[in-house]
Amino acid sequence: MKTVYVCTDSVTGIFSAVHDAWKAQKTEEECGIALRGFMEQQLFCDYVEVEETEGKAAAVENMIRKHMGLLAYHDLYQAALAADAEKGDAVLGTMLAAKKLKDSKKIMEHLSHPKVEKVFELSRRVGNEAHFHVEFIRFRELESGILYAPVTPKCQVLTCIAPHFADRFPLENWMIHDKTHRAFAVHEARKKWVLVQEAYGEAQKEEYEEQFKRMSEKEMEYETLFKSFCETIAIKERENPVCQRGHLPLWYRPNMVEFS
Amino acid sequence: MRIQEEMSIYDKLNILTDAAKYDVACTSSGVSRKNDGTGIGNCKLSGICHSFSADGRCISLLKILFTNECIYDCKYCINRRSNDVVRTSFTPDEICTLMMEFYRRNYIEGLFLSSGVLKSPDYTMELIYAALYRLRTRYNFQGYIHVKAIPGASQELIQRVGFLTDRMSVNLELPTAESLKLLAPHKTRKNILAPMRLVQNRMAENKQEIVAYRNSPRFVPAGQSTQMIIGATPETDYQIMQVTESLYRKFELKRVFYSAFVHVNEDSNLPARTDGGPPLLREHRLYQADWLLRYYHFQADELLSEENPNFNVLFDPKCNWALKHLEEFPVEVNRADYKKLLRVPGIGYKSAGRIVRARRLGNLDFPDLKKIGVVLKRALYFITCSGRMMYPTKIEEDYITRNLLNAGEKLPQEVVNMGYRQLSLFDDVRFDADKVMQVKG
Repeated sequence: MKTVYVCTDSVTGIFSAVHDAWKAQKTEEECGIALRGFMEQQLFCDYVEVEETEGKAAAVENMIRKHMGLLAYHDLYQAALAADAEKGDAVLGTMLAAKKLKDSKKIMEHLSHPKVEKVFELSRRVGNEAHFHVEFIRFRELESGILYAPVTPKCQVLTCIAPHFADRFPLENWMIHDKTHRAFAVHEARKKWVLVQEAYGEAQKEEYEEQFKRMSEKEMEYETLFKSFCETIAIKERENPVCQRGHLPLWYRPNMVEFS
Repeated sequence: MRIQEEMSIYDKLNILTDAAKYDVACTSSGVSRKNDGTGIGNCKLSGICHSFSADGRCISLLKILFTNECIYDCKYCINRRSNDVVRTSFTPDEICTLMMEFYRRNYIEGLFLSSGVLKSPDYTMELIYAALYRLRTRYNFQGYIHVKAIPGASQELIQRVGFLTDRMSVNLELPTAESLKLLAPHKTRKNILAPMRLVQNRMAENKQEIVAYRNSPRFVPAGQSTQMIIGATPETDYQIMQVTESLYRKFELKRVFYSAFVHVNEDSNLPARTDGGPPLLREHRLYQADWLLRYYHFQADELLSEENPNFNVLFDPKCNWALKHLEEFPVEVNRADYKKLLRVPGIGYKSAGRIVRARRLGNLDFPDLKKIGVVLKRALYFITCSGRMMYPTKIEEDYITRNLLNAGEKLPQEVVNMGYRQLSLFDDVRFDADKVMQVKG
């Protein structure tokens, strides 16, 4: 009978589930991973709750890095961040497929395997969204001088984009607020960035987030300057909103100053 | 001419952005640099676009002119000296503040600084140098900078600026020397090619210096580019592609940009104003062909010829080439080499790479190709998987043309709007060489 491991929608959760499935030495047909909250119950399946620990996740991470290589790890990690209910299954399936390969490091080239293909697709989706966010994030200077950027991504891209900004602005205090997944990437000047979950409940949310609305004096001035820059730089004779939408989809725009 | 000292930064930015918007290059690619932890900014090899303006072009750099005053009188340019427009200049400090404040809010990826020619080329270049020097040293800016070399500036100045910038470009402006003489009487081919050659040579020397001393300063690390105006003069696509090819070969340029001619001035030497707007389809086809030269191992005279000097309006250059060379098809996906795959319409260089790697681990079939990213509705006429075509098709030009057009191939707006009579002309309808010659005569 098929065993389905149930875990939370996080990298630690998925990697812990992989750990348990791997330990049980099941074949691809005999096991699967489902995410709590996105589950479709099936008949003739055993559902097992996974005990999630950092230790299990780290063990799996090391195993992937060692046997499947950094590039494959990159793809599997990104796939685990995607907004997709079947990502756990895809990650597990890819790892089991890699086991059968002579050279497991070549696994991501095996695109005719359905699970590998799924991981490839998810990883590409997450990578693209992360890249879009690197492009379209807009920081606002708060009263305190901290740069604050709200985002509403579909996938959990914070960990993909924070290193870029940590390298770019080492002397700035900044934070990126993932409103969808209720998390922050926080960077203090000259220090490493950290990932933190929203510590306040739904009730205090408004009160707490009030402080993100108080901008510094100069902020409005530069927002206006940039808005008019964006308007002026367009050539009227070449106007093409369809092309603009293709490059910059509408759902990114609410958080961008030039479209507000 | 008078510089208004009291003009606000808002007005200046508007005027000098408006004056710079016809410059095409807004790429921030070609150099990878990490922050050293003491300043602000880094560079990504792929480049980063930060926004897209209403015309669909990317906004990656703060694209501004240093000044829109100019002693030259180029017929196509909004800033030519005979035009009556408000003139203004930035100060180096204003540029730095704008840059830093925009950059830290993640609005832009860097600076694109061009300029009209104020007093003399050397004087202007000196001002540009001052602004860049301040930005790089006082503000410790480590992000991307693209500078236009002013034709006619001294070699020494261009070299000094080259060490502060990531990309340098000299505008070729027009594809041939005759056109240049006609429309930009103060610029000469020699004046444009000399700095281009200088930058090329200096970059080569710099490569050696870096081998010897790892920490020696980098000279124009992201390479140089240039741009040409398309549709203001009667050159054919074939001539333009040949110029492009020789620029890539002889001057080792990173990019050649094409700028569809936009009517901003009335001049008897310019083509007559039409209702059609700028020749965007032609520009698009040129970019497609440009990609074929750089990434797909094509050569200019494979795509066009003396007898057939302009691109097909209905099909992209690669598709067009394939239709004329059906003897090379179908290509067996599981066996053909990388270069052969690159020539199949619907297979890009990324898909081609993936195919080559994936087929080592198992035979590929059509559904796999789809997942890999191949555009099957275009590729299906030109490929076989394990000796089988996707559907029974004829390898026949008329048949494939008809089917490609029926398959909902997205036609350019220009073609959709054309009347029946014009549809039979396989030529760019926008540009009429005779008309220009008449005007010239």
